[in-house]
Amino acid sequence: MIHRLRGGGIPFIVAMVVLVVLPIAGMPRSWSLYFFLFFIYLAMANMWNLLAGYSGLISLCPPAFIGLAGYALVIGTWIGVPYYLGIIAGAIVAAAFALLISLPVFRLSGIYFSIGTLVIPEALRIAFFLWRPVGSQMQGGGAGYMVKGVTGVSVSWFYWLALVIGMASIFLMRLILRSTLGLGLASIRDNDRAAASCGIDVFRLKLYSFVISAFVTGIAGGIFYIYQGYIEPASAFNIKWTMIVMLATVIGGMSTEEGPIIGTAIVVFLHFLLAKYAGISLLIQGIILIGIMLLAPQGIVGVLRHNRAYRSFVQFIDAR
Amino acid sequence: MSQKPLLKVSHIDTFYGSIQALWNVSLEVEAQEIVALIGANGSGKSTLLDTISGLIRPAKGGIEFEGENISTLNPFQIVALGISHVPEGRRVFPNLSVLDNLILGSYNRASRPKKEQNLSIVYELFPVLEERKNQLAKTLSGGEQQMLALGRGLMSNPKLMLLDEMSLGLAPIVINNVYKALRKIREKGITLLFVEQNVRRSLEEADRACIMEAGRVVLSGDVADLREEEEVKKAYFGI
Amino acid sequence: MFLELFADLSTPIMMGILLGGLYALIALGLSLVFGVMKLINVAHGDLVLFSSYFAYAAMTTVGMDPVVSLVIGVPLLFAIGFAMQKYLLSRAFAISMEAPLIIAFGVSLILQNFQQIVWSPMSRGLTTSYTLASFGVGSIRVPLAYLLDFIAALVVMFFLREFLNRTYLGKAIHAASQDRRAAQLMGINTDRVYAFAFAISMATAALAGVFLGLTFPFTPQSGVSFLILAFGVVIIGGLGSMLGTFLGGMVLGLAQTLGGYFLGAAAQMLFAYAIVLFVLAVRPQGLFGR
Repeated sequence: MIHRLRGGGIPFIVAMVVLVVLPIAGMPRSWSLYFFLFFIYLAMANMWNLLAGYSGLISLCPPAFIGLAGYALVIGTWIGVPYYLGIIAGAIVAAAFALLISLPVFRLSGIYFSIGTLVIPEALRIAFFLWRPVGSQMQGGGAGYMVKGVTGVSVSWFYWLALVIGMASIFLMRLILRSTLGLGLASIRDNDRAAASCGIDVFRLKLYSFVISAFVTGIAGGIFYIYQGYIEPASAFNIKWTMIVMLATVIGGMSTEEGPIIGTAIVVFLHFLLAKYAGISLLIQGIILIGIMLLAPQGIVGVLRHNRAYRSFVQFIDAR
Repeated sequence: MSQKPLLKVSHIDTFYGSIQALWNVSLEVEAQEIVALIGANGSGKSTLLDTISGLIRPAKGGIEFEGENISTLNPFQIVALGISHVPEGRRVFPNLSVLDNLILGSYNRASRPKKEQNLSIVYELFPVLEERKNQLAKTLSGGEQQMLALGRGLMSNPKLMLLDEMSLGLAPIVINNVYKALRKIREKGITLLFVEQNVRRSLEEADRACIMEAGRVVLSGDVADLREEEEVKKAYFGI
Repeated sequence: MFLELFADLSTPIMMGILLGGLYALIALGLSLVFGVMKLINVAHGDLVLFSSYFAYAAMTTVGMDPVVSLVIGVPLLFAIGFAMQKYLLSRAFAISMEAPLIIAFGVSLILQNFQQIVWSPMSRGLTTSYTLASFGVGSIRVPLAYLLDFIAALVVMFFLREFLNRTYLGKAIHAASQDRRAAQLMGINTDRVYAFAFAISMATAALAGVFLGLTFPFTPQSGVSFLILAFGVVIIGGLGSMLGTFLGGMVLGLAQTLGGYFLGAAAQMLFAYAIVLFVLAVRPQGLFGR
């Protein structure tokens, strides 16, 4: 890791320090919200990119992981588990769930996989609507809960939690892509039969990325719910999560490392821009998604890569 | 001197993505000729046929059929003009009946009115197809599928037929039957351009031949002349 | 006592079977597109709903009977389908393998949001004089709408099958789905054939949407449920088999009604979803597929 600190590494460390210090230096409230959402969505988008961009699996599953992790966390707070442990517990629940459904779901290729992952959040939404694990009956039925035990936690703390998971997701992506797992995934994405005949255990590799993706997404989801303070099934298992990560990855550039970063920045910006038009925000996002897919399928990064200045910038950061 | 050739391929380059498959290929086929395209695997023979029938567009050069430029046309338009391509590997529609496969052969507007007429011609040439007309194509043997593919190609009333590797995977007796049928097809006035790996066979059946290697035409001419070419003898007869 | 149980069950069983017709009708379009172009149109459920909402609009603005409104609805959706494939999806296929799925996803959300804005999240229904009527077979009483659905499904499937097997275009659709290159060499304009296939799929979706609206109340979010059910029908019944699609519809119809009977109305969809996941896990090529 040390040798990576040369060259572009130093500006990178400076940027990190700035980011960490920001809340202490007195950042306006709206900024912290922006950054918070940015890092949370970034973690989720990176994980979606790991599956869709690098493993060839268009997953419609994020709401399942986010919702499950959120619920594990919230229920945890009701039974006395402190929230920071709850986050980990939530991530483990999400990862275990991914493990559980991976057996049926990976026998399926492409489209079957996507629909399979569409059914799951839907089924969970109904299940949690019917089932109320702890606490007394609430109005309207179903599992709507407030998060307990997070009063008095400062906004800066949320910011730092989000910062940690966001940056961790970037490092994780880099680590994976340069590992043998990454190479295996690239070959599977290209042609999974050929990969299998090269002795690559296709199932195992897909499983690894699926579980890792679930875990990290779960952490991000947990942190989000601590911040939001309440959870209920319709919004937890809502397709809007999938739209967010898909849009962020597609706008930025699927199958690229920088893509989700750029895309998420834009998506969060859009989020604030469209806050007034909450009613039609999904419609607008849908139009943007289709537009980008048709006009610039490689995303912004794809367009930028044609530019020499951008390429040298990236090389500099990479410190090669 | 000679009238315009039926098919004229001029200096075409063809690419698969960024990989070049054909270099400066030229070829002429006169009406009612049988021309053989010979060469080892990967020499570009199938690519040439695919380019002529419109499945691939040439990056450079031109293709003329009956004097008209066809290099920018879609495959379905080229079929309508009178070129029928029987692809490598037969590629019959496995889950459709023999009869349906044949009917599809006359899909283009010009040949639909002649459907019944062409069907009886095909049945005459290949009686086994009439016997099995309601069977699913995938239940046919290799040789029967080849005949079905040929019959299907005939249904579109072609002036020129492109035949890719007729004998692939077939027993010698079956191959003989296929070539017998080809001769009968030629008697009906249809021009044939066929790809065949078996050099000896090609030279027996064709009037002219064109030898390809690594995407280029290296030798072409009348079969009688080619037989005498040292290179041909050496490379392919092991002499 | 066993007979009593059976007598009690006979209503949900009857309803489940008839409901199967509706689900088969909904799944028909999805199956066609999937079989021909290997695309799971994730917007299918929402497009079916679009037809339901269109009929609703016709009913509430000019008082037109929903079935009559099909005279406009079917050609409308046919045209939309044709345009969607020709201008949107065909480009998507050329871009990458994932693009069609992502674009269909976008369409799905656009429709959901649009329907929510225009007609609000409140549930709507196509209620006419005859939808509230019921008919009886022996001691069983079943809503008339269920019977209408079943009959409609039979009729549409019959005509579709005849079309696919007997006409040139129908055969071309078969051919293009089995071997695209060879189909092109037959003189088939595969781009146009795909557009027609998608258009036909949307036409059946139009029919499905109206009958669905006559049977159930619907909300803008219902599209996803119907997509999942339609997909379930396709994988249970297998591709390429009308009978399979019909039977698949009945399996899920029964799953829903029996699930509702034993586990309560709120859980009935859950039971159906569980069956879908189960079949996906165990035999994705379907029980009847080739």
